[in-house]
Amino acid sequence: MAKFVLMFNKQVIQEFPLQKGSITIGRSQENDITIDNLAVSAFHARVDKTGPDFILTDLQSTNGTFVNDKKIVSHKLSHGDNIIIGKHTLLFLAPEVQTEASDPDSASLDLNKTMMLDTERQRELLAKQEKPSPPPKEPEKIGVLSFLDGSKLGEVELRKKLTRIGKASTSEVRLSGLFMGSTAATISRRPSGYTITFTGGLTKLKVNGEVVKGSLPLKDFDTIELGSYKFQFYQKEIQ
Amino acid sequence: MLIQAAGITDVGLKREGNEDAYLIDDQLWLYIVADGMGGHLAGEVASKVAVELISNTFKKWSQTKAPYEEIFGQPDASLSLEGNYLLSGIRLANRVIHEMAGANEKYQGMGTTVAALAISSSLVVAANVGDSRIYLAREGQLERLSKDHTVVSEQVEMGIMTEAEAANSPLKHVLTKNLGSAEEVYPDVFELEPANNDRYILCTDGLTDLVSDEEILDMIMLVKNPENLCRDFVDLVLKRGGHDNTTVISVFLSGIEEKKDGVLKKTGTMAADIWFGLRKGLRKIKP
Repeated sequence: MAKFVLMFNKQVIQEFPLQKGSITIGRSQENDITIDNLAVSAFHARVDKTGPDFILTDLQSTNGTFVNDKKIVSHKLSHGDNIIIGKHTLLFLAPEVQTEASDPDSASLDLNKTMMLDTERQRELLAKQEKPSPPPKEPEKIGVLSFLDGSKLGEVELRKKLTRIGKASTSEVRLSGLFMGSTAATISRRPSGYTITFTGGLTKLKVNGEVVKGSLPLKDFDTIELGSYKFQFYQKEIQ
Repeated sequence: MLIQAAGITDVGLKREGNEDAYLIDDQLWLYIVADGMGGHLAGEVASKVAVELISNTFKKWSQTKAPYEEIFGQPDASLSLEGNYLLSGIRLANRVIHEMAGANEKYQGMGTTVAALAISSSLVVAANVGDSRIYLAREGQLERLSKDHTVVSEQVEMGIMTEAEAANSPLKHVLTKNLGSAEEVYPDVFELEPANNDRYILCTDGLTDLVSDEEILDMIMLVKNPENLCRDFVDLVLKRGGHDNTTVISVFLSGIEEKKDGVLKKTGTMAADIWFGLRKGLRKIKP
């Protein structure tokens, strides 16, 4: 069975056999391997078993995680790896896990093959980290259109993935006007952020004073004009 | 609106079986790719089950305009009805694969990615789980309409790894989500309006491992029909070693006219607008 040997000043302090799929290492008592030293973050690093391999991941610790003197973000552990956390060393011992250097061709794991992380373990781990967690989850943001004209529309939150703006009754944001298109423009939330697209009608779409005929990614505080309507885009945090 | 679509799947040069599956439905304008994983034939089973279940449920629900009560799981208020059909179909496929894997020893640990695209005249829905991708090429720009659910891409999003480090990481194939491994799955779903000359690519990681986003865009701009584009992608993958199964679907949109309301209707609305405007004005003048 794979195990970690915790050492300080070349003295063995304790051995930790790896009995479950995921473990955490840090200063907090809630970790599987607790290292009581101020140079160690509360939740410093974690190890996940993926197939036959063990993956070490630094949890954005203050002082970093080093393997064989190299700073790592993620690292596939090999037998004999020296992990340095603060002033402590963890020796990884797993004779059954092949070392990459000694046998590069017939590695036990085909890294080109897609694998699934053990999600249950991962979720438990994430749940455990919720409170004192080092990587603070960014609060979710939502786009808002703030009308600057006299239309009394106030602020409109872009709660849908696709918001249609125009004269049609099906539009999420309904604007009137002789030359306003039934759908004059759309704003969609994509992996890269919010994008505005001109879709039709005789009323021009302008962003920061420039006419837009196709699509444009929106940035905070961009000013959008459609005919006599004028509004500003920004993102706010939501609960 | 006219849609031309083509798909191709290739086992590659290193693998014995093909665990990818894909579907093109020219009636529904529904396109799906899936990359299965799991020993023996389990990966092939998972990807096929996903593709079939998602297309069958989407077909049934969209043809009957099923209300929210009839679909599987909680609807997502940020999505359209069609978006919810696709979301719900993926969740259902996940549950089925998860239960199959739990009930049958030879299916233990099986799973699959999925990337699905549903198009109608006024809406495009893109949904994915895992690292199969959906691209949109529009106005000379390539955009991803999918999110990679991998350990490294999550680290990129958190800002602790760069895109370049992620691309070279030995962990780039470790997924954080797939269909099959958990009881519930939350796909990423995006919606947008279709535009003339939109070109969509759905693909498994066999392509994106060996071909960069820039190269994908260059080839889309050069090649004039979807069959040739798929063929060219696979040829390039094979030339570079083809270590994995590769599946690509190309979808080309054309013939979308700028949405003009009928001339009569337009004149009518205009006249009505003027009439009501005048009346409003007159009322103000009248004492």
